[in-house]
Amino acid sequence: MKIYERLMTIDRRIIYAILLVVVTLPLVFPSVLKVTPMTPVEKLFTAVDNTPDDKALILDCSYAPQIKAEVEPMAIAVLRHAFKTRKKILVLSLYVEMIGLATRAINQVVEEFNSVAETYEDSLIYGRDYVFLGWQPPPIVPMLGMGESISNIYVVDYYGNQTDTLQIMQKVKNYNDISILVALSGSTIPISWVAYAQNRYGLRVGVGCTAVSGADFYTYYQTGQFTGLMVGMKGAAEYEELVEANHGVKGRRVASEAMLSLTYAHLIIMLFIVIGNIGFFLHRRRK
Amino acid sequence: MKKRIPLILIFVAGLLGVISFVIPHPSYQVYDEWMRNDLLRVLSAFAVVLALGSLLRVHFDKIRRKRRNWQYSWLLLVAFGGSAIIGLFGGVAADGILPTTVRSFSFDIQTLYENIVIPLASSMFALLAFFMASAAYRAFRVRSTEATLLLTAAFIVMIGVLPLGYSISKHLPAFVQWILNVPNVAAQRGIVLGIALGVVATSLKIILGIERAWLGGGE
Repeated sequence: MKIYERLMTIDRRIIYAILLVVVTLPLVFPSVLKVTPMTPVEKLFTAVDNTPDDKALILDCSYAPQIKAEVEPMAIAVLRHAFKTRKKILVLSLYVEMIGLATRAINQVVEEFNSVAETYEDSLIYGRDYVFLGWQPPPIVPMLGMGESISNIYVVDYYGNQTDTLQIMQKVKNYNDISILVALSGSTIPISWVAYAQNRYGLRVGVGCTAVSGADFYTYYQTGQFTGLMVGMKGAAEYEELVEANHGVKGRRVASEAMLSLTYAHLIIMLFIVIGNIGFFLHRRRK
Repeated sequence: MKKRIPLILIFVAGLLGVISFVIPHPSYQVYDEWMRNDLLRVLSAFAVVLALGSLLRVHFDKIRRKRRNWQYSWLLLVAFGGSAIIGLFGGVAADGILPTTVRSFSFDIQTLYENIVIPLASSMFALLAFFMASAAYRAFRVRSTEATLLLTAAFIVMIGVLPLGYSISKHLPAFVQWILNVPNVAAQRGIVLGIALGVVATSLKIILGIERAWLGGGE
């Protein structure tokens, strides 16, 4: 076999094996790689940070287990940010299969804060500081309905409590009391929030999405329909960086730890593309 | 009659849905709110029942007729029944009437979800990275000017989005943002507008009864 043929026909098992090694090693021996936050993430961070005391924010955890690695760190970073700055937060999921992930993120961050809280005031109290509204099908119902009344749409929360009896809900009635909604998703759900809730009620929408969806969402970010944008694992790492740098929130930064793995994976893929193209050029020249 | 009633229903429902956005009068908005908040939820509850019934029927039928891979249908039915029972009677926070802990072993719905659904779904999706690497190596060839431009842009974005990009040049991430914000958005906006016009045209065809494929029956 000639050299160019070898370069063009590397066995896929070799590619898989090399990729496995370069992705796994940095995860086994994690180290946080410093990232520089970009403007779309900074805008989202500022919007959450500037939430007035009389308003709340909504976190829509509509991400499936498939994209958990990319989007869950975003949910955790936003929750840490909101809890550290004592913002009131309403969490929901638009699809049933995502409820478990939202529960997991809330439980983890609440546990982090409550384990170091010294007083009752410092602690995060369900119903006072946050509420998990759960799931209400179909998605268009909460998207439009919460513009009129959140308690009418979510009569009970995920745990069966009457929402209108919760302390947090006494001042949060509809979108007028919401500063921003952060939609975390790998699908077109954030666009639906813009199409229904923003167009009709003027709700501000911030987004966290997978790297694959990022290119689609820049259209909405550029027009200002999305206040801010976190794209992929890098976006999550940037938000983690901002939360730690501005508010001193400590905690495991999963997305930042994965940056090294992501860097090696990108470089290896690029290397293989270059090798394939060298073979292709040699082959063409020979012909 | 079998076709006329669904066609009338979709015409009326489609029209009412559209005009709610252009008639801000409170009386109509109250009606629109009822349609969205109550009627739609009742309809989706029916849809869930219909979907579950359909799923069970398909798999029972597969087992009865011993179709290809019928054994997996048993797996689905057992998982379906098990998770339904635990979910319905075990409570959302392991506080239901069904005990979901045996000594140190928990099998409440959240534990099942975190230890079965999440690892399985994540693993399946993680395999994509390997296929993508292999496919990129085989397919990304610089055969033309367009392919060269595409490859160059891809390389710049792939490096620029990484922390490495900032180490190479502090202007590189800003350049990547420009690529995403300007050339990418220009192309995306064209695609989005095309899709939107297509959706409007198809919706109108469905509302006016021109497009009838959704009725089934092969016509």
